[in-house]
Amino acid sequence: MQKVGIVGYYQVKLYSDANYGRYEMIFEAVRGALDKAGLKKKDITTVISCTNDYYDGRTISNAFAVESGGAYLADESKVEMDGAHALLYGMMRILSGNHKLAVIWAGSMASCFPYHSTRLFETDPTWERPTAYVNDISALGFQMRAYMEKYGVNAEEIAEIAVKNRKNASKNPLALKEAQNPNLTVEDVLNSEIYADPVRELMVAQPCDGIAALLLAPEKQALKITDKPVWITGVGYNQEAYYLGDRNLAESKSMELASKMAYKTAEIKDPLKEIDVAEIFESAAHEELILKEALGLTDKGKGPSLNSEINGEFPINPSGGAIGGNPPCGTGLIRIIEATKQIRGEANGYQVKDVNKAIASGQIGMCAQNNIIYILEGGN
Amino acid sequence: MGRQVCIASAGFSEHASKRSDVSMPELVSEAIEDCLKKVPSMSINDIDAFVNGNMPAFEGVNIPELWMTDWMGARNKPLMRITTGGTTGGSVAIGGYYTVAAELPGIDTILAIGFEQQSQGDTSTGLASVAYGEISVLNSLGITYDQLTQLLSAGAAIGVASYQATNYMRRSKITEEDLARVVVQNRHNAAKTWWAHLKMPDLTIADVLETPYISYPLRYGMVCPASDGACAMLFTTEQKAKDLCDIPVYVNGVGSVANETGVLGYNGSGAGQLDTSEQLGAMKSAELAFGQAGISFPRKEIDYAEVYSPFPNQELMWIERLGLFEENTASEMYETGVTALNGELPINCSGGVNSTNAIGASAMERPAVAALQIMGKASNQVPKTVHTAIGHGWGGVINLITMMVMSDKPTRKIN
Amino acid sequence: MSKRTLRKSMEYIKKDYVRTRTMPGSWYLSSYKYKFNITHFKPFLDKLKERKLVGLQCSSCNRVFFPPRIICGKCMVKPDRWVDLRETGRVATFTITYLKDPETGEVVERPIVLVQQDGSDTTFTAELNPDIDYRDTYIGMPIKVHWVESPTGGLMDILFYDLVEDDSKDLELRKD
Repeated sequence: MQKVGIVGYYQVKLYSDANYGRYEMIFEAVRGALDKAGLKKKDITTVISCTNDYYDGRTISNAFAVESGGAYLADESKVEMDGAHALLYGMMRILSGNHKLAVIWAGSMASCFPYHSTRLFETDPTWERPTAYVNDISALGFQMRAYMEKYGVNAEEIAEIAVKNRKNASKNPLALKEAQNPNLTVEDVLNSEIYADPVRELMVAQPCDGIAALLLAPEKQALKITDKPVWITGVGYNQEAYYLGDRNLAESKSMELASKMAYKTAEIKDPLKEIDVAEIFESAAHEELILKEALGLTDKGKGPSLNSEINGEFPINPSGGAIGGNPPCGTGLIRIIEATKQIRGEANGYQVKDVNKAIASGQIGMCAQNNIIYILEGGN
Repeated sequence: MGRQVCIASAGFSEHASKRSDVSMPELVSEAIEDCLKKVPSMSINDIDAFVNGNMPAFEGVNIPELWMTDWMGARNKPLMRITTGGTTGGSVAIGGYYTVAAELPGIDTILAIGFEQQSQGDTSTGLASVAYGEISVLNSLGITYDQLTQLLSAGAAIGVASYQATNYMRRSKITEEDLARVVVQNRHNAAKTWWAHLKMPDLTIADVLETPYISYPLRYGMVCPASDGACAMLFTTEQKAKDLCDIPVYVNGVGSVANETGVLGYNGSGAGQLDTSEQLGAMKSAELAFGQAGISFPRKEIDYAEVYSPFPNQELMWIERLGLFEENTASEMYETGVTALNGELPINCSGGVNSTNAIGASAMERPAVAALQIMGKASNQVPKTVHTAIGHGWGGVINLITMMVMSDKPTRKIN
Repeated sequence: MSKRTLRKSMEYIKKDYVRTRTMPGSWYLSSYKYKFNITHFKPFLDKLKERKLVGLQCSSCNRVFFPPRIICGKCMVKPDRWVDLRETGRVATFTITYLKDPETGEVVERPIVLVQQDGSDTTFTAELNPDIDYRDTYIGMPIKVHWVESPTGGLMDILFYDLVEDDSKDLELRKD
């Protein structure tokens, strides 16, 4: 696979109720990314956005956002999954040879709609919705219970992941203020409000407002635009079965298959030794352990044994992960931006030492039904 | 970078105003079966990746491609979803093209699927909700709800088209009879297409002109129906396509340039398009796609065209904007039979969107039918050999366009 | 849809098994709250109260937006110069809607126009004076703002548009 370079990025600070309008936020993200890379509007050839009609409360959510996103008289399209999938489509457009600079923007404002009730519309209207047993929180409850029972992991070990991510978020200036808890303890997490046993409030990623933007260019152009390009050397994406009963919830088959595809493309044989940091989109603390094991970093059930602090054996989510702020549709792209910051050495306050290769992932669907993973590499 | 992309097959489901005998996933699997029937050496397990899209407002299900994983055969396979409103089908087809052209390792054969089951929801609410967000801004700035309902009824898809119609009629001096003639030709063509919705082989111009007005100058007899249906296309590499079918169709150019909105601006501002029949975005898309395909004289080099025109005035407008005919001559071409089945440049021989409109699928059916015409396997096949054809779609707030240029020879330059 | 089209669409032959069950459901848009920026509207609404029209101009492409727009898409900058506009304008396009009056039940024809103010580069929707016959509307018709008696600083201060009486002989009026 030919190399595609990330040449600029920008993330708006996450708020739980931002004092912004939608178009202003999109403009700030895209203009900020262009200014950071030193490019102009006329250099843009294609724009891919990622928003969701139900989350935005309007059909064709990209029709009115054409001008703020920089797509005036440019080839534009929209992906309706996670921001990381919009990056995939932008990457495909660059690899085909038709385009020279792609702008990817993603995100939405969760303060404008009731997030958890809107997620009910993902359920099957002929069976699951009338019975109303499955929604996004109860699905997480099923998944956590299945994982705990199968591998004998207890709730304290899972709460430690929540504590770690919230402590990391307090070092990240762009994370959500409510998620920045530097003095949190495991007892606080286990005594917080219960959502769906055994999932507790502080273990779940909180939806908020935010937009992020990213710039992509092919190899030759990337070397001209910036002297610190970050290369995407591998990608893998996969979708598993839909009904919760058809899946083994203690594992993530789609992440296993996606990571196999990505490792093969980037020629990685031993991810634990060759990769330096991972930014994983986890919608709850236990998902980080499940996805960690599916990536091949540890054996099944041994997730808690791998130290994933910033100065630990294999750092995971040094920016706080999705628990540090989850703007619907934007979180996947923010994970990629954080991994890019780590490679370029621009993550002030939560920088991991000597990062050369990183993993970034995104997901969509109940219990991470569709996963996508990128291998990023630095260096010229 | 990149490689040649071929279309090996295309399939459709039956379209009707109420497909109440199937649920949404079953409708999709009908289209996939029809698509794979034409290439018997390929089975559903040989597909490497999927691209899926529809307009989610109509059925009340968010991201339905998760639900229909098994019905598409996509379990444990890569899948991507693209939705852009009225142009969804065209964007999904372009997404399928880019997935193959990107040369990702292990991904060579793609199934692109567009579908819609409009009878499950309320079409007018779904279409009006495009502008709810912007209309609420106008309400808070002082415009009352009565005037806003008027705006909405004229600002929905039909209203937007009638503004365009008034502009176009002033430029080109067409009459209502010209519009009715286009409708009659489309409905006669649809009668010979097995999957079309409104089949009317005996329609006459007088019948169309008898029906009452919806909003000047469009009458009830001229507008498109709301259908349920699905469409599937198979994209693959050059080598594999040569094994699967006799005449592989090369995709030589794509474009989907967006413009400012017309009629209603964003965030309470005015609309930027002063004359919506000018369509700068469409002309740029056509320029981009024709440039990639190496076509300099569309009038001579294109043999067949499928344009997206739910209303007859748009058909006349698009064939001029896309470079197929000179300004203000389109209505003449219909009178003299240049655009008929056995004419020099046949247009919409499947009946077009005027006879079948399942919104998520219709912008994909245009390149699908054009590809089948090149392969010689279309339901209403034109008698002459088709070498180059185009499929086109429009949508959004008259600002989104998709174009795909196909041929039986590769003309796209790979460097 | 007319009876003729309805009849023809029923010709689809339904398959030979029992119809599927139907489940009711709804997609509620009433629980959304749309957030939008209003700071660039304040000077515009204040001037409307004084019966004056202003537009916002982008300093890099010199396009004037009426009502004001927050971002100029061509240049990717925020327009910041306010310019005064005349009260006259032209009809950019129009259509005629046929709405059923809920009380009397009869169909009312009403023209809706897109107006381009002189000096601005955008159009916006408005109504015409109810006395103007809808058959007389044409593209390019010159019209003028008719203010409401006591403006309150909102878009409703423009009640409707009047036809401009012009008696100069060199103005070319085209009726289509």
